[in-house]
Amino acid sequence: MQVTLQTLVGGLTLGAIYALVALGFSLVYRTMGLVNFAHGQVAMIGAFTMSTFYMTAKLPFVLAIGIAVVVTAVLGLVIERVLRPLEGKDFDLMLIGTIGFGVMLEALAVVVWGATGRAVPSPLHTAPLSVAGLKIQTYSLLVLVVALVTTAMLVGFLHRTRVGAAMQAVAMDPEAATSVGIHVGRSNAIAFAIGAGLAALAGGLAGPMLYVNATLGSTIGIKGFAAAILGGFGNITGAIVGGLGIGVLDAFAAGRFGGYSDLVVFLLFAVLIMVRPTGIFGERTVNRA
Amino acid sequence: MVTSRHWFVALATGSLLAAATACAAPGSDSGSSSSSGPIKIAVVDAQSGQLSSLGAWELKGAKLAVQQVNAKGGIDGRKVKLSVFDDQGDPTTGTSIARKIVSGGYTAMIGTAESAVTQAMNPILKSAKIPSITSGQATAITELGSPYQFLNGPTSATYDNTLEEYLTKTKSFKTFAMITNNGGYGVGEHDAFTAALKASGIEPVVNDVVTPDQKDFSAVLTKIRSKKPDVLFIGTEEVEAGLIAKQARQLGLTAVFAGSAPLSTPVYVQTAGADVADGTLVSTPYLSNDATEASKAFAAAYQKAFGETAELHGAKSYDGTSIFLAALKQTKGKGGLAMADAVRAEKYDGLLGSFDFDDKGVGIHQTVIGVISGGKLGPAS
Repeated sequence: MQVTLQTLVGGLTLGAIYALVALGFSLVYRTMGLVNFAHGQVAMIGAFTMSTFYMTAKLPFVLAIGIAVVVTAVLGLVIERVLRPLEGKDFDLMLIGTIGFGVMLEALAVVVWGATGRAVPSPLHTAPLSVAGLKIQTYSLLVLVVALVTTAMLVGFLHRTRVGAAMQAVAMDPEAATSVGIHVGRSNAIAFAIGAGLAALAGGLAGPMLYVNATLGSTIGIKGFAAAILGGFGNITGAIVGGLGIGVLDAFAAGRFGGYSDLVVFLLFAVLIMVRPTGIFGERTVNRA
Repeated sequence: MVTSRHWFVALATGSLLAAATACAAPGSDSGSSSSSGPIKIAVVDAQSGQLSSLGAWELKGAKLAVQQVNAKGGIDGRKVKLSVFDDQGDPTTGTSIARKIVSGGYTAMIGTAESAVTQAMNPILKSAKIPSITSGQATAITELGSPYQFLNGPTSATYDNTLEEYLTKTKSFKTFAMITNNGGYGVGEHDAFTAALKASGIEPVVNDVVTPDQKDFSAVLTKIRSKKPDVLFIGTEEVEAGLIAKQARQLGLTAVFAGSAPLSTPVYVQTAGADVADGTLVSTPYLSNDATEASKAFAAAYQKAFGETAELHGAKSYDGTSIFLAALKQTKGKGGLAMADAVRAEKYDGLLGSFDFDDKGVGIHQTVIGVISGGKLGPAS
């Protein structure tokens, strides 16, 4: 029983990180119909940027993450601007373009921060909470709360603000949105910037739990992507459920199947997607090719 | 539709042409190294991907050895030229690099840091008679039966036998738990340490395998905690070992951590946190930069050249490269079997100890036990 509960706690903690990654994937997808394959690498750049400001410049952790979010949001704008000429013309090239950006960002990180990477010390120094023999890290609780609050804020933004509503309109029908005076390019740019900022938030929060190096992006990127699909690609609430789901699934598979856990997780994932291709929350499939 | 078919035809023609040229290449620019101009040596290591930190250290060690020889006038009046290939820690990439090394006329190869990649490249290098020296430590490498394959350090069996003896005899620890991963390195550690324990009649209370990419170890660590072992043996690469140690202490596990080379690195200490890493027992052929006069000189030169502190992997590749360069001096720059024989005949006093290569290509046959204290590795009592 104790093993089960402790595994659940471990799974939820990493799951919160996957959920934040999934949010960014989903936001860009629902707005543009595009899978941003550089998303994981953007998260990695965010983690490195955070580590520079937190460890080298000695700024407070929260401020360092804030700066990382802004820096990667700008990076998101740059990626969107480079890809914009292809919007509505060649979808495949856009997709390949994002893969290219991912490879480039990973190489760039090695040049700037080196191949060795760095361990980020935890900003919280409190002892783990002990509940009936269970050990719960205060930092894990923080990450979970941040993931939940961020989801709520994002849902609020999309449903209750003018810009958010415009983005929803673009997501549903870009041509109709254009005809009522909504700037599709700007809407896409905002989606990319927020998506990249969310990636930095995920990467920055993952820093003290994991280890920041150039391959961090592919590690959390692939799980985040799976989380977004599982929750229903493009669905914001689905992203957080999918993220926590993948995290917990991963943790239990690791305990039960050891070295075969990846195989089991993705096999189960494949079966779930076959049974329910639209994911748990079944968002309408966007196709803008 | 027509356009895409045109594309396909063009692509197919292109790849056929490429294949034809590739087949023609060996005739025009093939194999054996020339006897004038610089001596070409290839460094093959991961410069990108998960294992790139290892690759970066190795490259620095090799570079330093070559710089020092070139500064003294090279070998037989010829300069040594080092070329870097990025194997990404991937065996498939390794085999294509092996072919490039053969067709590029390289005399010898330094690398790789990954046992699996070394094993994949071995047959191609063997048939081309190109000597190579790896930092891999899997026992499987010694069983490849190639006279051109050398190891710049001890095998997993040597590391783990020394460690097991120290833990059971000197420290009188009774119960052991093991975590290893199912990558090339981890499998070697799993087999070597399990065998060493078995020889003493000990069965580990938990012997679990994880994946190299795993980040959360709650399940296995909670299970281990309930068994209360004296020692937790960790057989994974640096970062993963650090994460396991950190999470183990967070979950209230009190066992002593033990393992080989990866646990002696600063990456392990930083990932786990210095307070968690303290007390970790490590089997290593290279205790510290201050151990001998030679290691002091090496560490100073390393610091000067790269602006960072030297560690085991740089020292290993520095030793391996130096041995190869010394052998090339004997053969006056000639590669092939003459060079391989010269390496075997070489009695080299290196940073890791006295090299004396056996017919399996292993030059170092012992390790020492170190302990991490105050975040630094020192000799264990």
